Amino acid sequence: MTDWPTVELDPVARLRILARALPHVHLVERSIDAPVARVWSIAGDLEDGVPRFETLVRRARVLARDGERLQLEAASPFGATRFDVLLRPGFCVMHGGSTDIGMAAASEGAGTRFAHFEGHRRFGRFAWPYLAWSMPRELARLARLVEGGERKR
Amino acid sequence: MDSFSDPLVRAAQTGDSVAMAELLLRLEPIVGRICGAIALDQAADAAQEALLQILRDLRQLRDPQRLVPWVRRIAAREAVRMARRQRERAPAAFDPGALPAAGDPELAAAVRTVLARLAPEQRAILALRDLAGLSEAEAAAELGVAKGTVKSRLHRARAAFLERWTS
Repeated sequence: MTDWPTVELDPVARLRILARALPHVHLVERSIDAPVARVWSIAGDLEDGVPRFETLVRRARVLARDGERLQLEAASPFGATRFDVLLRPGFCVMHGGSTDIGMAAASEGAGTRFAHFEGHRRFGRFAWPYLAWSMPRELARLARLVEGGERKR
Repeated sequence: MDSFSDPLVRAAQTGDSVAMAELLLRLEPIVGRICGAIALDQAADAAQEALLQILRDLRQLRDPQRLVPWVRRIAAREAVRMARRQRERAPAAFDPGALPAAGDPELAAAVRTVLARLAPEQRAILALRDLAGLSEAEAAAELGVAKGTVKSRLHRARAAFLERWTS
């Protein structure tokens, strides 16, 4: 019965579902004028790429890796946090302390649809005004990095 | 048989976003097969709504070992709901002359064309019995109908499928 019709979702659709199931996270999306592989070469590079566009991530270090599951330590102005991470091409979710972060990229014409959520369990929706201000700027930084052809450090 | 470890399901039930993401990725093929066979054009919407309901209601699942039957039931119900809505808006067209022979590369498209001519409830019973491999009792439980209803509905669905396939 392998000829029965089936359906497969893209990474952005998966991230939207997860964001709707997590009431404390705020989701933003934008189009980026570059192929998914180029976008993900920065967004999916947690140590060298993410600190270049995430406002509060100064440094990040992978502590352990087992297939698609990683342990990551990220340093912010408020201290270091350890994250459990699920990372695969075009899709990443991180859970550490009371913070949840997600990123996804999918083809959109010749470019990319990029989705990103962040949320803080303790602050819940009280954090949304800040996230609504900071997250579009993070995505704009990512788009500039990718579209401008800047080379990674 | 798909297996899911208790710790993964329990972690997802506590709201661990990474565990929820892993569960989402691993449940998607199960949900995609059921929604694809039942909801057809509405399959992507049905799969997304079913997966969202699964993640939101996960805490209600007491026994992680019952995860897959519980997921199939939610997917089948959501797919039937979407398919009914679509059927009311635009009944499917059918062109028997367009059907290829068995073994043709377009077989999947042909199966889909024939399925489109069946009622959503008939597609649901075919998907659960012939695609997911459930027993009559299991299919009855998952669709919330009597075992006898499953038997008669399956008989009619298979007959309708064969009639359209061979016509």
